[in-house]
Amino acid sequence: MIGGGSPGSATSRGEPSADREAAPSSPSRARSTASAPPRETTSGIFGPCTTKAYPQGPAELARMGARTPWHDPGVCEGTGACARACPTEAITIEGTGRGARLRLDYGACVFCRKCVDACPTGALRAVRFFELAVRSKDDLVARHVAGGTLGANPPPSQDKVSREVRERISRLFSGSLAVRAVDAGSCNGCEVEVSALSWPAYDAERLGIHFVASPRHADALLVTGPVNRNMRLALQKTLDATPDPKFLVIAGACGISGGPFRRSKEVEGGVPPSDLPSVWVPGCPPRPEALLYAFWLALGRVEQQLKNGELPPKVGGSSLR
Amino acid sequence: MSAGAPDHGSEAPLLSATRSQGERTAPPPRSQVEVPGARDERKWVAAARGGPTLEEAEEGPWEVVVALERWRPSVLSLVHALRFRLATLWGENAHGGDVEVHGIFLGGAECRGVHLRVDLPGAARKLPSLLPDLPTALYFERELSEMFGVTILASPDTRPLLLHERHTAPPMLPAGGEPTGVRAPFGFPRTEGEGVYEVPVGPVHAGVIEPGHFRFQVRGEEILNLEVRLGYAHKGTERLFEGLEPSQATVLAESISGDMSVAGATAYALAVEDVLGVPVPPAAQTARGLLLELERAAFLMGDVAGIILDVGYAAGAAEANVLREQAYGTLELLTGSRLGRGAVVPGGLARPVPAEARVDVERSLDAVRRGLAGLVDHVHDQPSIMDRLRGTGVISLEVAEALGMVGPAARASGLVRDVRRDRPYGPYVHERVRVRVASRSEGDVEARFEVKVAEVLEACRLARHFLGEGGPATGPLISSRSARPRHGLGIVESPRGEFLVALRPSEPAKKVLARVHVRDPSFLNWPAIEYAVRGNIVPDFPLCNKSLNLSYSGFDR
Ligand code: SF4
Ligand code: SF4
Repeated sequence: MIGGGSPGSATSRGEPSADREAAPSSPSRARSTASAPPRETTSGIFGPCTTKAYPQGPAELARMGARTPWHDPGVCEGTGACARACPTEAITIEGTGRGARLRLDYGACVFCRKCVDACPTGALRAVRFFELAVRSKDDLVARHVAGGTLGANPPPSQDKVSREVRERISRLFSGSLAVRAVDAGSCNGCEVEVSALSWPAYDAERLGIHFVASPRHADALLVTGPVNRNMRLALQKTLDATPDPKFLVIAGACGISGGPFRRSKEVEGGVPPSDLPSVWVPGCPPRPEALLYAFWLALGRVEQQLKNGELPPKVGGSSLR
Repeated sequence: MSAGAPDHGSEAPLLSATRSQGERTAPPPRSQVEVPGARDERKWVAAARGGPTLEEAEEGPWEVVVALERWRPSVLSLVHALRFRLATLWGENAHGGDVEVHGIFLGGAECRGVHLRVDLPGAARKLPSLLPDLPTALYFERELSEMFGVTILASPDTRPLLLHERHTAPPMLPAGGEPTGVRAPFGFPRTEGEGVYEVPVGPVHAGVIEPGHFRFQVRGEEILNLEVRLGYAHKGTERLFEGLEPSQATVLAESISGDMSVAGATAYALAVEDVLGVPVPPAAQTARGLLLELERAAFLMGDVAGIILDVGYAAGAAEANVLREQAYGTLELLTGSRLGRGAVVPGGLARPVPAEARVDVERSLDAVRRGLAGLVDHVHDQPSIMDRLRGTGVISLEVAEALGMVGPAARASGLVRDVRRDRPYGPYVHERVRVRVASRSEGDVEARFEVKVAEVLEACRLARHFLGEGGPATGPLISSRSARPRHGLGIVESPRGEFLVALRPSEPAKKVLARVHVRDPSFLNWPAIEYAVRGNIVPDFPLCNKSLNLSYSGFDR
């Protein structure tokens, strides 16, 4: 009984019906009884290892899309074309022409590259750089003056989390970290990349990072989504149920700033700041390597790369300027 | 296990629906109205209007206005006599505080469909319910009621749907109510009797899963009833489109259901192109086809992996996830984004797909196709896996039809609808593109597994086809034309099924969006899980759930 009786199910485009309705590629149940010769069923398990080297080894940068916007104030003419093109107000500009003050917030960026396409002077470039996670939200914001020099007068970056706390986290958890994922109203794009951490390609468990079913078992909460009204209470309860000491990893533009949803009355605009040690991971969604980096940053096993919104001068082996 | 589970004893070849449906009730009699040739959509509308139902007034090519007292009979006649199905229903603000209710009804192949509208005067805003005759309407009516303050007359279920807090006013009205922080009551049905107990689950689930609440009533291990409460991922997204320029809202369309970003962006782009009359270069259409099929392959590989994992075969699931990663890596190669975000924009593509990626893409598609075929052969040989899938979580054709289900889940129950075939759009319009639609009739987890496997293989085949046709393609800038219908409609076969966007730009300049309505396929499919689990055991719930893979965010928006 094909087509369920809807009026057009009789093929009206002059095609043989079998061709359109049956799926020759659909495997049949009868096949399971055939004694097929043993065949190669496993490209990943018994075949060559597909787990990527990162973070212990280098990331496969050449295969990554260049999506992270990077702004060079030296060639910026302050046209404001980027700010007009940006869908999430991640770039804002005050004034025009040289001397205009530009603000680029990686915490609100959805990595769409519209600003790069819009910029008439080439001051904005898309680069392959994903180690964007930071311990303090302030470090996500670049403040530039059009026509000025890069990092001309950066305010000192102060780490909100004291060295003592960082060392304690590292001592307690770096061998084995139990993470509880909480979706606080995400679009589920972030969930795809969080689940990818369990795929053979990323295999977070090899690094001692595993996802647990209950906050009672967790050392850290991984929060995605803009914290909408309907999940506020559930997020708070999950947080309260997680035993101390604990820390937060906030993943995605939504969790940091509300992302695409920041203007809605139904969302809080991200995870509210708390006293808990936190790591903020830009991305929409952050790619799995970016999440692995964030965990290692939280565990004190790598240095923070992004400071005052400035990318390190060398990105992917090539100089930014 | 379910007493009504189909008999799986025989090993008949089951390429498509060949198993008898048992005592199916006869379908309702076909229309008394003469059904015109499926090609001529104008005649469809004329038949609908000349039939026993619709008023004369008509605005634009497809928007038909009916008087309030004719709403219910018109809709029911469209659905029951003319065999249209309700695809979506949404509200809009009109002048003077009135609310317009719009409905899209789609037929089968080659019929553009009927667009009905009924105006509700601001003073009363009352609409007679379409229930119990049209079960599909329930969620739409509940949303209309809470979002626009429409009183649904004689509705059997007036509970809120997406809003958990009381609002100062219905949030979609022009003034826009605010959440008050006071939780609105929500009653769950109770089941009583000896040994009956309740299992509440969620909204925070035990894995990397979206938020939602399930209330099971269970006796022993058998599930007597399940009620799903959603809305936990509600973000008021539809409202956020309003006032934006069409080119700025793509990220919102991608964030309805982020795991179907390409499909969401494409449906949105088609709707914008439809209403503004934007031409899309053929090469961009082909490239969209490539991205859509790659996304489908990656997405459905995840379902295959999830089903294998939920029977406890971790090595097989890992194998499937190796292939899934391959598909996402390919999408990144083509678009720069693993989920294909930012690639599709109104007018075409944001940037051309790189021609030099071709060889790599071909190799990946072959690897996915070969890897999956091998894995599935292997899985078929494991009786301990197949036994768990067979007869579990059955959704009958009657239920699927009554709920208006779409996508692979519907096709696994013998309800064969696929937008790519029935209402070809963009890349699928070309006559050389023949989509081979997989289907089964059993409606159990195994049927959904097999359909999804077949669809990954078919998606790889189609992607290869589009790759061969492809070329560099970026779109022109948007320019508006005046003589168009008020609304644009974009309908795409996403990995979960029919994804629909209806939008209206502001008048007269059409520069910004006035109203955007998005209907994710999961909005239609969610109730099916409540039927699928009945009579099953609690430990099989994850299997039922994974085989349907419903989107919470897509439903809640
Ligand atoms: S890449 Fe980021 S900063 Fe640039 S337009 Fe997109 S969201 Fe805005
Ligand atoms: S950050 Fe982006 S991908 Fe993640 S939940 Fe928000 S919109 Fe979705």
